[in-house]
Amino acid sequence: MTLPFLVILPLFGAFSMPIVSLLGKKLKEYWAVIISGATFAVAAKIFYTVWKTNEIILYTLGSDNPIGRGVNFPIRIVWEVDLFGALLALTITFVGFLAIIYSLGYMKHDTGLEKYYTLVLVLELGMLGIVVTGDIFNFYVFLEIMSIASYALVAFRNDTWEGIEAGIKYMFVGSLASSFILLGIALLYGQYGTLTMSYLAIKIAENPTLVAKVALAFLIGGLLFKSGAVPVHMWLADAHPAAPSSISAMLSGLVIKAGGVYAIARIIFSIFNPGLHTYLRTFNAPAINMDVIGWVIVFFACLTLLVGNAMAVVQTDMKRLFAFSSVGQIGYIMLGIGIGVLAYGTRAGELALAGAIYHIVNHALIKALLFLVAGVVIHEVGTKNLNELSGLAKRMPLTTFFFIIGAAAIIGLPPLNGFASKWIIYESSAMYNPILAAIAVVGTVFSLAAYTKVLFTFLGKESERVRDAKEPEKSMLLPMLILVVAIIVMGLLPWQISDKIMIPAAKMLEQLNGEYILALLKFIGGA
Amino acid sequence: MTIVYLTLGLIAIYLYVSSASLLWEGIDRKLVARMQRRMGPPILQPFYDFLKLVSKESIIPRDANKLFEIAPVLALASSIALLAYTPLGFEPLLATKGDVIVFIYLLGLIAFIRVIGAVSSGSPYAQIGAQREIIMLASREVPMMLGLFAILWRLSKLGVEKPFSLGTFYQYNIWEIGTPLTIVGTFVLLIVFLLWLASEIEVGYFNIPEAETEVAEGPMAEYSGRHLALFKLSNALKEFASASLVVAIFFPWGISGYIGLTGIAAMVLDLVFHTLKVFAVLFVSMSVFRAITGRLRITQAVGMFWSRILPMSLIGVLLLVIDVLGVIA
Repeated sequence: MTLPFLVILPLFGAFSMPIVSLLGKKLKEYWAVIISGATFAVAAKIFYTVWKTNEIILYTLGSDNPIGRGVNFPIRIVWEVDLFGALLALTITFVGFLAIIYSLGYMKHDTGLEKYYTLVLVLELGMLGIVVTGDIFNFYVFLEIMSIASYALVAFRNDTWEGIEAGIKYMFVGSLASSFILLGIALLYGQYGTLTMSYLAIKIAENPTLVAKVALAFLIGGLLFKSGAVPVHMWLADAHPAAPSSISAMLSGLVIKAGGVYAIARIIFSIFNPGLHTYLRTFNAPAINMDVIGWVIVFFACLTLLVGNAMAVVQTDMKRLFAFSSVGQIGYIMLGIGIGVLAYGTRAGELALAGAIYHIVNHALIKALLFLVAGVVIHEVGTKNLNELSGLAKRMPLTTFFFIIGAAAIIGLPPLNGFASKWIIYESSAMYNPILAAIAVVGTVFSLAAYTKVLFTFLGKESERVRDAKEPEKSMLLPMLILVVAIIVMGLLPWQISDKIMIPAAKMLEQLNGEYILALLKFIGGA
Repeated sequence: MTIVYLTLGLIAIYLYVSSASLLWEGIDRKLVARMQRRMGPPILQPFYDFLKLVSKESIIPRDANKLFEIAPVLALASSIALLAYTPLGFEPLLATKGDVIVFIYLLGLIAFIRVIGAVSSGSPYAQIGAQREIIMLASREVPMMLGLFAILWRLSKLGVEKPFSLGTFYQYNIWEIGTPLTIVGTFVLLIVFLLWLASEIEVGYFNIPEAETEVAEGPMAEYSGRHLALFKLSNALKEFASASLVVAIFFPWGISGYIGLTGIAAMVLDLVFHTLKVFAVLFVSMSVFRAITGRLRITQAVGMFWSRILPMSLIGVLLLVIDVLGVIA
């Protein structure tokens, strides 16, 4: 059983870091690289297993059976990993590994690095926990582990005013959002007396009360905050520019996905399954109207992708621009999820979900690359103001090349990976409602304008500031190179990846036959 | 084996189209000269120009970066790729459903690469030219796409095997539908496309980014030698491909069917006939337009696109739509 090692390894790495760092200066950095590399290998193994067998892995903590002795309901914490979770675990460990390699060069001039590497591993641990868990309180604990590590990492450079400011802002509103989520969980527990997601799904279907709806509202509200959806995106635009760039890459590529859109999708599809409730309604049984949730998510998605991309156009700070672009891209992912709920069980709904999952992975890679590029620029030139940066291309040709690939991929130009995922989202939204597709296209137009602006600052006449810039060291170039290769290779095989991985992942998430619940039920009924 | 044949076909088309398009440039210069009572250069002048440019030294400005040298190659590469999707009297080589988007994308990409090359040169003249080029690019594509998608949508209603492919023009053409509304709508769209073609190849009113007298060749200000030669060639290819689009939409008829040819001979004959039609369209949209109109200011040109040509395109599209939906019987 390899699944527990996904959490054990980073946990072990984080807790041994203070001791390892006593042994030598360089050792702690290599230790972090080794640990995150091993975690990546474990995630790859789990992903391969789930993909090969196409079955949900159910793992019980402390026993081999989640059902208590003498009772017929689950009493233990279970982890349930479907293809969606496994895919995200793979993405998280991959980007996390690259961000840690990048930190070797990037964080060289900072102090307190043993704390830094501990926090990075804890951040990774939190995200991995979120994507594997099948217990809603366990989910909350991992969400808080992730959130607290990211508060600390945003404010890691505590001698800069913006790090502290962004950290405080993020922490205060983030804690409020977390308390909403906890309140939602408490309401569900009070009403149904269980915390296991799949068992909760059965209980809610048996007796959908007002409390369940209120709890759902609290959960969605809190998680929309964590994903940076528009009315509550203000923390993101401050936190991403203020954090060290290796952390921005993880925050933007992973944290808002794992703690935000993944969790929304998981709660909607695994606890409040739209199919189950539509089925109940056909028998005139009481059920929750999931279309309302679908429209709420689509509404916020449209708002997010318009505002996020439009705000990106007017920024003069490079990392802030990327941060707003992340908000915009979250809009596309949420649009996919929203349509997946609304058009549940149809071809359009399945495509939309597959597009959303695909875009989560693609955006994680692309945005990690872009933030690493921004980190290189800050590291070498010392400013991220686009008005002062001009003509970087001459002194830093490789970095410029990486940026061009990243920018082209995020706009969605055909030979790169962003094209296929955005195309699937456009196509499915056009199938469901052409107005939504039109809104999505308008968002892309803004995003094109924003990145063209940055491109023109990379090219153009050399400014005084960049005259003695040079390429960074190899440990910073290598992760970017790997990401570029991944982006190009994924871009060359878009429909194969979509058919072999994303559509099956969407099917498993959609669970038309209640597979997520059945994975637990087979322990209960003895069947 | 199909891949080998496709490659050979693409190379053959590339060689043919480059000579045909350079030949047209010569004819165009001759025609415009005659319209102004000049002798004009010999017909083969563009070939001499090209060879001369290739043999000249290429000067790289001090402020230029790597992309300055890569951009001409990329532009030519995209133009050659564009040829694989261009209807040339027969179905495009890589005709597949939805390939119209690739066509538009590559056409836009060529212009964008020119801009990137210009910005990379570090020259302020080129920067101004590049800004104008981007503004024109953003304005001119909207009416064209609207018209093109409407026509393809109309044709896809007739039951074609590859909807939204440029190959469908050779199965059905838009005049065949024959209802008065469609004919009027198509005619309006024809005017839109001729104006779009003029702006795509930047002549007459729309010779704005390159405006010789104002911004000294604009995006091309710093290019010389073989880099300039590559750009000139890719522009000539783009010119031919854009005109081919107009010909394929509005005048797709071939003559091989009447004579009863098949196979390779039919393709060659259709290609030659297509070339003649392209020359005819370019004569209207390029030579005449260039000879009789002056340049607009950039604001006027953008205004013209959004306030004249876009509504015109909308009217044409609405006429087609009304005809299909049968709102007025």
